[in-house]
Amino acid sequence: MTTPPSSPAARLLDFWRVFRRNRMGVAGLIMLAVIVFVAVFADAIAQYEVRSSIAVTTSDIYQPPSAQHWLGTDDAGKDVFSNFIYGARVSLIVGFFAAFISIIIGGVIGIVAGFFGGRLENFLMRFTDIMLVIPDLPLMVVIVALSKPSLLNIIFVIGLLGWTTTARIVRSQTLAVKSRKFVLRARAIGAGKAHIIRHHILPLVMPILVVNAVLVVSLAILNESTLSFLGLGDPTALSWGQMLNYAFGRGAMSTGAWWALFAPGFGIVWVVLGLTLFGHGLEQVLNPRLETHHLMNPRSTVKNEATGQPLRHATGERAALDKPILLQADSLSISYINEGKPRARAVENVSFTLREGELMGLVGESGCGKTTLMLGLLRLLPAAGQIVNGEVWFGDTELTALSDEEMEAVRWKGISIIFQGAMNALNPVRTVGDQIAEAIAKHDTTMKGDALDARVSEMLELVGISPEHKKHFPHQYSGGMRQRAMIAMALACNPKVVVADEPTTALDVMIQAQVLELLDSLRKRLGLSIIFVTHDLGVVAEMCDSVLVMYGGVLAEYADVDTIYNNPRHPYTQELLKAFPDLTHPDKRLTSIPGYPPKLDELPAGCRFAPRCPLVFERCRVEEPKVISIGERHMASCHLLERMKPE
Amino acid sequence: MNRWRYLLGKIGWAVFTILFVLVLNFFLFRVLPGDAARAGIRDPRLKKEAIEAIRVRFGLDKPVINCFESLNPVKFGSCGVNPLDTQFFIYVKNLLHGEMGISFHSNRPVADILVERLWNTILLIGAGQVLSVLVGVIFGVFAAWKARTKIDYGSLIISLVAWSLPTFWLGIILLFWGSNNGLPIGGMQTPGMSSQPFFVRAGDILSHMFLPTLTYTIVYMGEYMLIMRSSLLDVLSEDYILTAKAKGLNTFQILKDHALKNAMLPLVTVIAINLGFTMAGAVQIESVFSWPGLGGAIYEAVNRRDFPVLQGAFLLIAIGVIAANLLADLTYSYLDPRVQSE
Amino acid sequence: MKRILALAMTIAFLLAACGPSGGGGGTVRIGWAGSPDTLNVGAAVLTEAYTIFELVYDSIYELNLDGSFSLALAESVERSDDGLVYTYKLHKGVEFSDGKPLTAKDVKFTYDFYKAHEDFPYLNAYTAYIESTEAPDDYTVVVTLSEAIPNIESQLVYMYVLPEHIWAQYAEGAAATEFENVEMIGSGPFQMVEYKPNEFVHLKANKSHFLQPPKVDEVIFQTFESQDVLVQALKSGQVDMITEMPATAVESLKSDPNIKVVTGAPFAPGVSDIIFNQVSAENCPTDAGGLCTGHPALQDRNVRLALSHATDKQKLVDVILLGYGALGTTLIPDGLGMWYNNTIKDYSFDVAEANRILDEAGYKDSDGDGVREMPDGSRPLTFRLQWPSDSIDAPRMAEMLAEMWKEVGVATEPSAVDPDALTAACCPAFDFDIILWGWGSDPDPSLLLGVMTSAEISTGSSESGYSNPEYDALYDQQSTELDLQKRIAIVHQMQQIVFDDVVYIIPYYEQAIQAYRVDRFSGWLTDFPKVELSDTSSLVVIEAVK
Repeated sequence: MTTPPSSPAARLLDFWRVFRRNRMGVAGLIMLAVIVFVAVFADAIAQYEVRSSIAVTTSDIYQPPSAQHWLGTDDAGKDVFSNFIYGARVSLIVGFFAAFISIIIGGVIGIVAGFFGGRLENFLMRFTDIMLVIPDLPLMVVIVALSKPSLLNIIFVIGLLGWTTTARIVRSQTLAVKSRKFVLRARAIGAGKAHIIRHHILPLVMPILVVNAVLVVSLAILNESTLSFLGLGDPTALSWGQMLNYAFGRGAMSTGAWWALFAPGFGIVWVVLGLTLFGHGLEQVLNPRLETHHLMNPRSTVKNEATGQPLRHATGERAALDKPILLQADSLSISYINEGKPRARAVENVSFTLREGELMGLVGESGCGKTTLMLGLLRLLPAAGQIVNGEVWFGDTELTALSDEEMEAVRWKGISIIFQGAMNALNPVRTVGDQIAEAIAKHDTTMKGDALDARVSEMLELVGISPEHKKHFPHQYSGGMRQRAMIAMALACNPKVVVADEPTTALDVMIQAQVLELLDSLRKRLGLSIIFVTHDLGVVAEMCDSVLVMYGGVLAEYADVDTIYNNPRHPYTQELLKAFPDLTHPDKRLTSIPGYPPKLDELPAGCRFAPRCPLVFERCRVEEPKVISIGERHMASCHLLERMKPE
Repeated sequence: MNRWRYLLGKIGWAVFTILFVLVLNFFLFRVLPGDAARAGIRDPRLKKEAIEAIRVRFGLDKPVINCFESLNPVKFGSCGVNPLDTQFFIYVKNLLHGEMGISFHSNRPVADILVERLWNTILLIGAGQVLSVLVGVIFGVFAAWKARTKIDYGSLIISLVAWSLPTFWLGIILLFWGSNNGLPIGGMQTPGMSSQPFFVRAGDILSHMFLPTLTYTIVYMGEYMLIMRSSLLDVLSEDYILTAKAKGLNTFQILKDHALKNAMLPLVTVIAINLGFTMAGAVQIESVFSWPGLGGAIYEAVNRRDFPVLQGAFLLIAIGVIAANLLADLTYSYLDPRVQSE
Repeated sequence: MKRILALAMTIAFLLAACGPSGGGGGTVRIGWAGSPDTLNVGAAVLTEAYTIFELVYDSIYELNLDGSFSLALAESVERSDDGLVYTYKLHKGVEFSDGKPLTAKDVKFTYDFYKAHEDFPYLNAYTAYIESTEAPDDYTVVVTLSEAIPNIESQLVYMYVLPEHIWAQYAEGAAATEFENVEMIGSGPFQMVEYKPNEFVHLKANKSHFLQPPKVDEVIFQTFESQDVLVQALKSGQVDMITEMPATAVESLKSDPNIKVVTGAPFAPGVSDIIFNQVSAENCPTDAGGLCTGHPALQDRNVRLALSHATDKQKLVDVILLGYGALGTTLIPDGLGMWYNNTIKDYSFDVAEANRILDEAGYKDSDGDGVREMPDGSRPLTFRLQWPSDSIDAPRMAEMLAEMWKEVGVATEPSAVDPDALTAACCPAFDFDIILWGWGSDPDPSLLLGVMTSAEISTGSSESGYSNPEYDALYDQQSTELDLQKRIAIVHQMQQIVFDDVVYIIPYYEQAIQAYRVDRFSGWLTDFPKVELSDTSSLVVIEAVK
């Protein structure tokens, strides 16, 4: 959510703080600063006045670099270094002014098209499309040939032909900005269009325009040099391109005068590289994109935090079971470690057990570390994520100690996941059947051809999808079908444990119910163990055997479902339940918990729930509560409970 | 159903664009100052009659278009001209017959000149494009996969430097290097080899292609690398990659089966749009290496102010780019199943 | 990556090695930075085309490297007493490359063909004085002129004799200029093998040529886009000779033992000129589109003379041509030999003198800005200085002229102009002050002298707008003066007039610079006053080095 920003100076300062950390951007900026300095103070830096040829004799022509001529002399016996310095001025002027024209035209067209929409937009964007496909170089050639090859004309030609990409980028940004809340609000209260554009659209389009401008400047400089090389430049304005034109046209290469060719070319590369580096840096800062992805090597598990007690010893529960334990997390702690930022302790000291056939609910508000915990179990954490403590036992295997290859074998075959939002979790360019088959074939190499095909059909039928849909792509499915297909895929390898990560968000209520019912019936039929991550306490009450409540990355309360509902001990659990409509007592007033969960990289000292806790007392703000066992299979972390413990 | 509407829309748009370019092309070259008939020939031996004969030969004696004697506003007027006897009508009529007029310079039909040179350019651009896409994609994949590592920063900087090189400058440097290393530096074949067996000639052409293709590859690979890197980064942070990983697929399988195709999709469009820009590169590369292609033809036509050739080349390239864009749209719709239903 | 590259290179080398090595000792590879515009003899404009025509066709006369003419296809010639009828006896047994004999009928066909086509830019002009051509028998050609002219040789030397049996079908209308003539059936010392426009011209020797059977087997002209690349191609041995090169590279090539550089007056001489727009109001060709916006000061000989004194020609030659050029004085270049008036003594480079002339003529710098004004104070002596944008030397010259003329209080507004636009502005529009341009020359001086006549003001050939009745009369006189010595005297006098009136400043006559590899072929003709290694004269005598 971006709101109209504060003072420009403060923004600039903020921007600089972020930008200076971007090494490539800063390098580009320094390269540009150097050349701009050189261009501005050319008169002071250049050794010789650029145009003097009175004193030149034959022996001055193409002299190699020397003490008098640092970069040698050119085809007219002039000092290449001085020309280079003055050439910087011309090339930069062309680049900046041409880009200025392009940016103005492209910016206006983009904003007008994006803001006003309708036929005007249609017309403008079609026009832009045409200009985009018209090859610009021949056009430039013709126009330059038409007009006198003066610097001004060249600036105009390059400027007038270079705006298309700008227009497209600005338009899409305008479209995006237009529908933001504050713009809609401004329109609703009747602000004029000019006012809205100037005060609401422009400030948000500007960053992207600046990034684009940097690119356009570099293109303009390259274009000018190309035109000069083709003999269409202005020979009276000695740009770097023109220096190259003279050098190539008047025999520098065959004379062996590499300096006359090298210096101006180096100048162009220097400026263009500076601009692109700077632009790259700008873009990363203004339009930050997490440059991380799912295939980056994750941080290796380094268990360096020795807090928390191992669950096994604390409860001794592992031995006393009615059914065998399938999956057990033991004081699991996960942190996100990003350079230059404080470590985010996303999960800390969480323990639970999952027995065969058990359905455990994992509840808590968004950002409480539920998903991190689930991904951590399967070691699917993003690159910045790291398991810093604890163990995960899957049967007799300790998952955090496995090699990558061993882990791959456990995934899906042992523990599979139903992701939230099946639209994104399915590859859009491969058929659903294909994606299910892939999972099966990976873990059972004997499955091939018809057998594989039959298995895919069987799985789809299992979730109530007609097998002929397996040839279809995800976008051809309805939302509910996709989620069911996701379930089919998750079950395709007969996993022992299924993690269902909010499998029903983004579905409408009817479909939600269908999917949940399906999941529950499948559990019973196949004897699955399921970890069910959700916000929905109603679902939990209805389906789950046990409940793990998380808050701010820690275990708040963990118990069987009856205990949680009938005897919640942690204030957070209590507050959650209050916020949840109780079907048996529909008259009860709903209260929502004021405030938001803590940011995981700015955790409060003491109890993480303290700022929002209605029962908070002094100790809560200084000391973190430990997870304590407060009854049979009932754990919680709260100082209140510790005090009560002696009872 | 939807697919057909989509295709028809795209084709209709391409046709409209071509019509637009046709008209633009005609008028662009008619607003030139001076007398085209005298272009290139300035000699006292050229008598008035000869100039007039040349004007007639190139059809310059006819009015440009009905009610315009020329685009020069001073000469405005002279309505009542038979619209079928105007330069514009003749231009359109000739184009329909595949004729683009006669070169001022060589007296040959422009279409002949362009066609023989088109193939040479397609050979060069084709090889260069394939190589630069290949190299760019390989570098891009490694950079994105190994994002924020030394490999990534290394390829990023190489690409940005390659992108920053003025094409002709790099060409000159490589030419200088090549001539000192015995590589052919001009033309596309050693003259006088037409009687040699096919593979000898092919080898000869290959050796002549080396330097220009290398220049082309270096200049354009940077852009493809950057696009591939950012596209793959986008794809690799998609949820379905996580799904694939959760399914137990290893890195190689995920890249191959889930990431590459998706990430290459934007590249298809970029390659097509780039075709117009690559002509700018071709002009420079072909003029440095004396490659007898379309770019070289443009360079020569510019120097000789041979406007019929320039006009024809412009039209040919524009149509080529439009066709390539259409092809890209169609390929895209084939590769990306989502397009069909949009 | 590196390995792939290396592999590709290895393959390229291997394959290249399979090709012919050196062409069996008999193939001369010539690199040039041009290419024929067309092989159609009538339509061709460029020198490169004429170079090929010279090799593939024969004509009645040929032009020698010393500027003299000799008979080629004809064994003998007889001139009638009134100078109007020339009777040529042709060599017997001359054959075209397709085996058909060359007879007087072909000559007649050719001459009639050139005369009938007014749309042939050059060759038609040479038929201006030809009344009729007859072929009474297979080996006799009778040419009747409309006027007795002194220079029949230069009129006929480029009239390449074409085979009637090929060209007859293209003789009429547009076909004559559109025929591409790629087979080039001719009778000359070389024959066409393969032609790729803008790539190469591949010729083989006509070992049974009646006059000059070549010693080499083949000649290949290969096109490179720039002179700079030509030098590299010569250095690396990809070509054996280059027809042009940048002057700057001469020194570095001289140090290469395998390469010899040859410089001298070019076979087809040219002049560079600094053209003053001096068309007077009454001579302004308004009917032909004359605008006549020239600076009034340039009508004054004093101003032109002062600029001449202020121009350091030696410096121009040194810096622009690195000394490979002769100081210019008059319109006819030194390369035209006897026609060149070498008695003209050039105006001295003397800034003080130039300033004195301007001061005396009343051009004073009254406002002290360093630029003189017209005597009536109306406008400053600021001249538009323009040149065609396709020239790489002209901007350098403009730069230097601007500095030189600044010393005498004359300012310039330099700009490169597209050649088309410049033609449009130049003539007959006369919408300029000073232009830097040049002329290529015929072997006969008539062509260049004609540029200065009043009659050319409205045609666009006269760029100066110069008009002098005395000069016009002399021009007519020389074009019919049959006595060589008298004609030379008139031509010299005309040059003196043009020089005295300072119509142009002629900065220099550029030299030809060519180079060849001594390890490939020997026998190149380098000792003549003119340099042209790609001329027939050299190509028929060179031999492969063992």
